[in-house]
Amino acid sequence: MTWHVDAEDLRAYARGELAPPALWSADTHLVACAQCRGVLAEVGDPERVDDGWERLDAELDAPRPGVFEGLLMRLGVADHTARLLAATPVLRRSWLGAVVAVLVMSVVAAHAGTAAASPTLFLALAPLLPLGGVALSYGPALDPTYEMAVVAPMHGFRLLMVRTVAVLTAVLGLSGLATLALPGYGLGALAWLLPALALTSTGLVLSARLGPVLAPSLVGGVWVAVLLAAHAYDAGATPVPFTAAGQGVAAAVAALTGGLLFLVRDRFDRFQGDAV
Amino acid sequence: MTPTVSASGLSLRFGGTQALDEVSLRLTSGVTGLLGPNGAGKTTLLRVLATAVPPDRGAFTVLGQDPATAAGRQEVRRRLGYLPQTPGFHPDFSAFEFVDYVAILKELTDRGARHREVRRVLDEVDLADVRAKRIKKLSGGMRQRVALAAALVGDPGFLVLDEPTVGLDPEQRMRFRELIAQAGEGRTVLLSTHQTEDVAMLCHRVLVMAGGRIRFDGTPAELTARAGGRVWSSTERDPGAKAGWRTGTGTFRNVGSPPAGADLLEPTLEDGYLLTLDGAGAEVAAA
Repeated sequence: MTWHVDAEDLRAYARGELAPPALWSADTHLVACAQCRGVLAEVGDPERVDDGWERLDAELDAPRPGVFEGLLMRLGVADHTARLLAATPVLRRSWLGAVVAVLVMSVVAAHAGTAAASPTLFLALAPLLPLGGVALSYGPALDPTYEMAVVAPMHGFRLLMVRTVAVLTAVLGLSGLATLALPGYGLGALAWLLPALALTSTGLVLSARLGPVLAPSLVGGVWVAVLLAAHAYDAGATPVPFTAAGQGVAAAVAALTGGLLFLVRDRFDRFQGDAV
Repeated sequence: MTPTVSASGLSLRFGGTQALDEVSLRLTSGVTGLLGPNGAGKTTLLRVLATAVPPDRGAFTVLGQDPATAAGRQEVRRRLGYLPQTPGFHPDFSAFEFVDYVAILKELTDRGARHREVRRVLDEVDLADVRAKRIKKLSGGMRQRVALAAALVGDPGFLVLDEPTVGLDPEQRMRFRELIAQAGEGRTVLLSTHQTEDVAMLCHRVLVMAGGRIRFDGTPAELTARAGGRVWSSTERDPGAKAGWRTGTGTFRNVGSPPAGADLLEPTLEDGYLLTLDGAGAEVAAA
């Protein structure tokens, strides 16, 4: 043993006052070091030491967190939040892999000139990715533990928001990176951002009434219809949602639906599937 | 005795179906069985009592709290254990991680206390040895026990179990019954099941539902007694019987209104259940 737990830390440990990460370090060290265990037995109240052993026993029994969960904890996310996020279906590799594939294809298409050498295809697709991601992260169809989660004390809206933030962070981050690869990268290439927030927020509000499948499908459908109509009206022009006026509307919709979402938050506290 | 659950006039309609129709009940400590055919409204009743779905009409309290209010609902959920009909799992989680996840949903955020609780409930359902195993590698019976462990997190005062023994082999079912009996000591358990044996072996009280209504509320012995003098044997299936089937001895066991001089048999809980359903206008399965 090349080092030992500091005596003051051992006293704090015995009092149950040693905080992580020093606590975790002491836990691990004490398992292997008889000398430190001896010191601990001398400085600690026997009852507290027993509590400490019990806690240590429980910690040693706890499985190591997975790669994703461990990464989140290293980034400073609390362990309980990291576990909630690890259970989010769309934060798995399959979903993130699909997102990356879609983004790469749309960027390649922009470079190949198949999208009139403009990032229109990318701009049209990028807002749909977080909408889909958030829709797939909560609800009876895709969350296998949905029914247990609904009757748990943690408010459904809080769980939804935790997962929404995680999905948005992942998908918007990937889309942002893809933006850098677009030809003629400039501010215009970020025009997907506000529509992405507007679509996601609108999808969430409507899902409180229409459910987590119909609502995002409807919103996504309307988005595609708007783009097709804009293309049919003037194929050569920048589609309306990506103009200054369109961006303003997207910002207003995002703000309005964000407010509405807060007002209807209690609807996420009840079962949204079919009852039998 | 103060009831754990007190409900009056609960009604709920889905589309064209009256899933619950003026259901009133009181549940006290111990295991209460809920029997009924598919579509009787059992799962809907369980979801309403578990605060997942609000009723259209009627009122109820659970553990002295009113789930119609957000604060009351929150309090009920803190003291509720719920095992749904088809509990879903994150298959890549181990048993420990899954129960830990449910414990987080139950607001146990202190890591040490939470892990101790997870160990306690996994021990309670005899899964201590497989806690690190991935759920996808566990048998069906073990998965059900993991789900029961998740429901037991936080030592709930009211435990709602929706058909927990479906799909289990006889040995697993027997083991699960032991766990339910153990869970029913000192708390109120509402057990929905298709298995009359579950009710006969576990429950101090039984409710029979059909068409969204409670058709019987009493002890298993009282339900069995309903079939007293209405079960008989014959060498051919009696056309007048509500239900009848050939037994292993080659004779027919008939349930209904026996003819004069019939060879009466000792009724079972299932006989009483079948006759109750028949009286309720529900379909009675006949061999």
